[in-house]
Amino acid sequence: MTAPARPKPFLQPEYCKGCLRCVDACPKHCIEPGSEINPATGLIPVELHLDACNGCSLCMQACPEPFGLRPETERAHEDHSGRGDDFDLQDPAKLFGPKPRPSDPAADERDTVIAAPACEPLVLKGNYAAAIGALFAGCRHVFGYPITPSTEGAELMAKILPKLGGAFVQAVSETAAVNMMYGAGGAGVPCMTFTSGPGFSLMLEGVSYMIGAELPGVFVNVMRGGPGLGNLGPEQADIKLACRGLGHGNTHAIVLAPGTPQEMLDLTIDAFTLAFRYRSPVVILGDGYLGQMTGIVKLPETMLRRGKPSWSVCGDRDHRHNLISSIELLETDLEKRNEHLNRKYTAIARREQRADLYRCEDADVVIVACNTPARMAKGAVEVARAEGLKVGLFRPITLWPFPISALADLLPQTKRLIVVEAGPGQLEDELRLALSHAGFATPRIEHVRRHGGVLPSQREILNQLLGTPAASHA
Amino acid sequence: MSGVFYEKFERHAHGEGLKAHSTHYCPGCGHGVVHRDIADILKELDAQDRTIFISPVGCSVFAYYYFDTGNSQAAHGRAPAVALGHKLAAPDSLVISYQGDGDLASIGLAETISIAQMGVPLTVIFINNAIYGMTGGQLAPTSLTGQKTATSPDGRGRAHGQPLKMAELIAQLDGPIYVERVALYDAKNRVKARRAIKKALQNQLEGRGYSFIEVLSECPTHLKLSPVEAEKWVQENMEPVYPLGVKKDVSATTEPWFKGPRPSYEPEEVLGLAGAEPALAEKRRTEWPAHVAKRDLSFKFAGSGGDGAQTAALLLVRAAIELGYDATHIPAYGPESRGGTSYADVHIAATEVLNPAAPEPDVLVAFNAPSLTKFAHTVVPGGTILYDSTIVTVAPTDLPAGRHILGIPFTKIAADLGKPMVKNVVALGALQSATKLLPDDALIETLAHVLKDKAAVLPLNRSAYAAGLAAVTPATV
Ligand SMILES: Cc1ncc(C[n+]2csc(CCOP(=O)(O)OP(=O)(O)O)c2C)c(N)n1
Ligand code: SF4
Ligand code: SF4
Ligand code: SF4
Repeated sequence: MTAPARPKPFLQPEYCKGCLRCVDACPKHCIEPGSEINPATGLIPVELHLDACNGCSLCMQACPEPFGLRPETERAHEDHSGRGDDFDLQDPAKLFGPKPRPSDPAADERDTVIAAPACEPLVLKGNYAAAIGALFAGCRHVFGYPITPSTEGAELMAKILPKLGGAFVQAVSETAAVNMMYGAGGAGVPCMTFTSGPGFSLMLEGVSYMIGAELPGVFVNVMRGGPGLGNLGPEQADIKLACRGLGHGNTHAIVLAPGTPQEMLDLTIDAFTLAFRYRSPVVILGDGYLGQMTGIVKLPETMLRRGKPSWSVCGDRDHRHNLISSIELLETDLEKRNEHLNRKYTAIARREQRADLYRCEDADVVIVACNTPARMAKGAVEVARAEGLKVGLFRPITLWPFPISALADLLPQTKRLIVVEAGPGQLEDELRLALSHAGFATPRIEHVRRHGGVLPSQREILNQLLGTPAASHA
Repeated sequence: MSGVFYEKFERHAHGEGLKAHSTHYCPGCGHGVVHRDIADILKELDAQDRTIFISPVGCSVFAYYYFDTGNSQAAHGRAPAVALGHKLAAPDSLVISYQGDGDLASIGLAETISIAQMGVPLTVIFINNAIYGMTGGQLAPTSLTGQKTATSPDGRGRAHGQPLKMAELIAQLDGPIYVERVALYDAKNRVKARRAIKKALQNQLEGRGYSFIEVLSECPTHLKLSPVEAEKWVQENMEPVYPLGVKKDVSATTEPWFKGPRPSYEPEEVLGLAGAEPALAEKRRTEWPAHVAKRDLSFKFAGSGGDGAQTAALLLVRAAIELGYDATHIPAYGPESRGGTSYADVHIAATEVLNPAAPEPDVLVAFNAPSLTKFAHTVVPGGTILYDSTIVTVAPTDLPAGRHILGIPFTKIAADLGKPMVKNVVALGALQSATKLLPDDALIETLAHVLKDKAAVLPLNRSAYAAGLAAVTPATV
């Protein structure tokens, strides 16, 4: 009995790099180094003399070029499709029509809105509220690394998610955590993390990649005192980092600043919506107090189950063609991608500005503050109003984009602008940039600042308002 | 193979032309051989539609040019983390983390080891070519002793560290089920390599666990050898340092276990796990106690860890919210994680707590002398100061005038009931008695609610609360 003939190899000289691995591999010495330079490639392809060839295929297994050395059985396919041997340097799009796709492109699968039964308000810590908000937004994948004062969010997720068929992973570091988010976000599922300054710093490499590859993901950064290890007190120390420094390259992402446990929940839900709407990370900046603060939290009436986005890489046939990547080696291509990202940033800046105005209607003194300091400011507004001062609170909810349009409406009537913040002026810098970009001459800006984990107190704000500043900390 | 590779490398940087049929790798590079193997095996396993190929940073950064599968490109060293994210999000997928030695053994070492140890079914293909390819031939963790590279021009010396044996390192972990080192330098080894990769992928498809294949591979360019010489170099120089073979294999005895997360979106379940309770038709709403304050009242609870200051504060907040007010609590601890200072700021407001901090509280509850000394002077004129007179036996002489100051033996009362720990509930009773802030039973009803699963401790707490209530008498006030 003779064994069925096994196919002998054939060579496409244009695709051979002349590495000679096949020569080395052939036991029958059927292949020898070539002698002529291939005019199309400038390389010297090997030459085949297949008289002694038994089709053992060892040469083909040795060849690093997928289309260099192939079994004869595939030649027919080449000829048939008009590619292969008779390939010449013409524009294939014209020769063969549009590129074949392995399957029809997937369509976006729609989100499902699920009604939630009415229930009593909860009494929750800010960190827990953000976690529960995420559950309502359909998030079942959380990756994190413990850091005070954000940890309770991860702890609650670790407790709940396995019971909901989700996944919580405590990664080896924040660097690993953000890259797990890159993977899960790339698969099109809503995912998030809880962290604080030192951890967020470590995540920035990944955030930049997520922005570059256009992946959704929600980052809750419960800010603490810095720089370095700093302390565990509340600060607004990462505003610049989030608004201006999300890793290397040309990066921006929406930054939200909640002020109450309720907003920790509500804004987390919004963050997921925005993350998917813009295919981008969204950063929620809380402060140490807000993460730890317990308050009343009402749950929403609906829960979301997110559909599969058409662009996701999720391991099925419909999405097989997809690619998640941020590399663009050709300068002009990268320029195009950046232009695309810049257009997205512009659209976000136009559409997503949000602010909360408290007693601003007739105010000629406007306080600008966010997070917990905004609550101290709110207390001060109330007392100052009782003293006859026409003061209001302008609370940016989006720090990037800064809600300059709403502030612009107030500016004509504003005599004094006072920025209250837990830090040495990062919020004020954002305000100044926004004013400047919007073409306003920068007015004189007063400020009340504490740092290092200390919040400006209601009394300090009041003193500033009433013109009796205490010993300055600025 | 055909079908798993794009028929033409349509994502190729050079677009259509000739290059769209040949890889960007240097002639004779081991990456190309392994790509071929993987493509062949995916076809054999009929797994093309399920595959997510993770390209690392390194020469293989563009592997997605070639594989007609889902592709995800990861940051330098982070491929296993990205792979895990994909796998957990799509548990039925076949995820291949494909990495070079700089990627896997240097910058991403922590990810490599921690994710191997997790044991989740993933397949890691580790291309060890003993040098950095993409950045131009620098020292790799796997470079051989004495090996000259761009960053070890005089040869790898002692101070550069020793070559890192990844397969051995991974094999001694408990997480992985299959670890093998293979080579590509001759036909026999190429067959073994292919078999190993296939097994590593099968392990994942069957949900058995994590597999790691180290491939000794050729980088002719930076070894400055011809491809055929590079094959010999790998055999003669690398193999003695990195012996080939199976380093660990428990795949046959590891039952398939990984089903992956299957998220549920059942609202009742979510609400239950969040601790939410069905809305009550009949709510316990009460009028704001205007006799106490117009709209807002602030409290400071201060003691040391273990005094129960935070628990008492949270109970007050919860009760207030159940009664229809707004309330907030902010904890603050000393630098000691246990047993240090423990303060709580509480606000209760008729409609909205504007400022949740309590630097000048209306009420201070102090559980020890330092707390009393520290905060007594911050209490507003007309405010109330309660302190534990069991602990603070001699009250400071300079307590501020114009405040209601009450020394109540919280600890003694609690101890008489048999459990000193409930002194914080005694304190709550006393607080209620002194301020008449809430309906008398509101706090204890809230506590009963909180303790509904711990019925045994409720009677004691009820007694503690009642004793606290009774301890503040017109005489003490
Ligand atoms: C954070 C970061 N640091 C450094 C680099 C530069 N870099 C690109 S590839 C590479 C080495 C890759 O070597 P290896 O993983 O061995 O792959 P090979 O090119 O040999 O296949 C380095 C250091 C980078 N891209 N990102
Ligand atoms: S198939 Fe075997 S015998 Fe034929 S050329 Fe290739 S290696 Fe030589
Ligand atoms: S192994 Fe392939 S690329 Fe190398 S010489 Fe042979 S045919 Fe050419
Ligand atoms: S530099 Fe080395 S590893 Fe990179 S493609 Fe060339 S041969 Fe392969």
